[in-house]
Amino acid sequence: MEWFFNFPDMSRSDLREFKKTVDFAFTDFSRSYGAEIEGFFEPLLMFLVWFEKFFINTPWPLIIFGILVLAWIGSRSIPVVIGTFLSFMLIGYFGMWEDTMSTLAIILVATFLCISIGIPMGIAMARSNKVQAVIVPVLDVMQTIPSFVYLIPVVMLLGIGKVPGLIAVCIYAIPPIVRLTNLGIRLVDKDVLEAADSFGANYWQKLFGVQMPLALPTIFAGVNQTIMMALAMVVIASMIGVKGLGLPVLRAISNQYLALGLMNGLAIVVLAIIFDRVTQKFGLRMQKYRNDGKD
Amino acid sequence: MKRVFGAAFTMAATVAVGLSWATIGNAACGKVSIAEMNWASAELMANVDKIILEKGYGCEVELVAGATMPTFTSMNEKGAPDVAPELWANAVAVPLKKAVGENRLMVANKSPITGLGEGWWLPPATVKKHPELKTALDVINRPDLFPYSEDKSKGAFVGCPAGWGCQLANANLFRAFEMEKKGWVLVDPGSAAGLDGSMAKAVERGENWFGYYWSPTSMIGKYKMHKLDFGVPFGGKENWDNCIVKPEKDCADPKKSSWVKSEVNSVVSANFKKNAGVAMDYIANRVYPGAIMNGMLVFMTEQKASGKDAAFEFLEKHGDVWEKWVSPDVAKKIKASL
Repeated sequence: MEWFFNFPDMSRSDLREFKKTVDFAFTDFSRSYGAEIEGFFEPLLMFLVWFEKFFINTPWPLIIFGILVLAWIGSRSIPVVIGTFLSFMLIGYFGMWEDTMSTLAIILVATFLCISIGIPMGIAMARSNKVQAVIVPVLDVMQTIPSFVYLIPVVMLLGIGKVPGLIAVCIYAIPPIVRLTNLGIRLVDKDVLEAADSFGANYWQKLFGVQMPLALPTIFAGVNQTIMMALAMVVIASMIGVKGLGLPVLRAISNQYLALGLMNGLAIVVLAIIFDRVTQKFGLRMQKYRNDGKD
Repeated sequence: MKRVFGAAFTMAATVAVGLSWATIGNAACGKVSIAEMNWASAELMANVDKIILEKGYGCEVELVAGATMPTFTSMNEKGAPDVAPELWANAVAVPLKKAVGENRLMVANKSPITGLGEGWWLPPATVKKHPELKTALDVINRPDLFPYSEDKSKGAFVGCPAGWGCQLANANLFRAFEMEKKGWVLVDPGSAAGLDGSMAKAVERGENWFGYYWSPTSMIGKYKMHKLDFGVPFGGKENWDNCIVKPEKDCADPKKSSWVKSEVNSVVSANFKKNAGVAMDYIANRVYPGAIMNGMLVFMTEQKASGKDAAFEFLEKHGDVWEKWVSPDVAKKIKASL
């Protein structure tokens, strides 16, 4: 009856061998292909560095002006634009301009990357139940696996810095856009598709002319969530050497600097709120047009 | 909170056990209590001491769990436990000096582990490829050998993770050695995992790496890292305590300096000297070469070995090291018992 009370587990030495084999396999992989993989990401790294420098070196009034214009285009709302202006002035006044620009740069690239990978993935999922059955568990893993579990292998492959940080952010932030693109397309009314069929629309015409436009509000909710989750990962990314608002937060955590932590934490929140309001309003406007029957 | 209770409990236990030991009389060697501190290298040393004192000198040894402050307090107040094999003395410098002055405690060994402490390190492959890099001053002139991934024209110096005490010291030394002017970037690895990861990645791939770490640790042992001589002497206590370890705004003019020496001693009680005098020579001779200690720490981490397992492993594998610490017939006795 021993097996009933004690789980019949692997012996300690077998388990050790197993762990060793996995570790060695990864080390070997990293030794043989690490340099190539790093080379593959080199252009991305150069772009990230350039993009960050661009944000930091452009005079601040120009950056704020650019952000306000984008906020206006996105939201068409005076309160949002004024709120954005005040937030950035406060961030700058409290000496967090440079860190905020670093964070903004990596978040924008991460969001762009997530959207450009996530939307096609979502479309593929919506098209085939088999693809959906494969991708959904992968997304579940990406959303729930503790980040350090994949951060360490990523660091072993690519070192510390922006690219591993970006990958970490994307692993966490990409699921919402994929899921919501899939959902949005699947929720498009069957009757509408039938109508499109009867007009003789081919697959691509149906996708871009009917399904995507009707799914846009849902897809936009996905974009919004992706941005939010990317911002939530800023501090984690800093734990593998990404510059930005996360580093002061880490410094504050280990030294109980209340003010420093609060200021930088709130700066992240402010960025999140601005992104959220602008994209929300943008999504709402799309929905309004749809309801008015305009395009 | 847990840590506070833990420390209080350890202190209480240490004092209680210490009292009972102190009052019992002693024969040839007698009863000895040894503090087993709560980190790997100290666990190993305490267990090795236990085996050698028991088998070689016929002492009756009891290990007492401990940590720097509670153990020292108990030794200082009650004279027990009798031996603290690895006491990081910077934290208790003033009371230790007083106790030594009053002959209540003795520093039996001034540096039981060599090559110990914080500093700047290079991977062994780098040292082999570039034997001309003898000191930090040499390395600082060659940022081209340590390219920073985000700006290849600069050298990367991996400092201490955000928020650690050593972050300030590294940043100030970075300024003192004028490394920015010489083309270096101070990279913040963000966390211990980031620091370990960046070192591990570079060494595994045979790339050059230059950064901060400390020893004895299993990371240093695993990768056989080379501790770099700073090439300048220690710049004085004044410079270190009032500038190097302060935030940048309080340290306007940092002077070049090697890293402050970490004082680690083996401290024994007056009682131990009286009762186990024969073993004093052993404690004084017992110096672990840093590389061997780091190797043992790798063994402990990889095999998840306890201090006791590691002590037997050490005694079996490294006879050439420990046999020099004791007389030949004592060594024979210990060997027979293994």
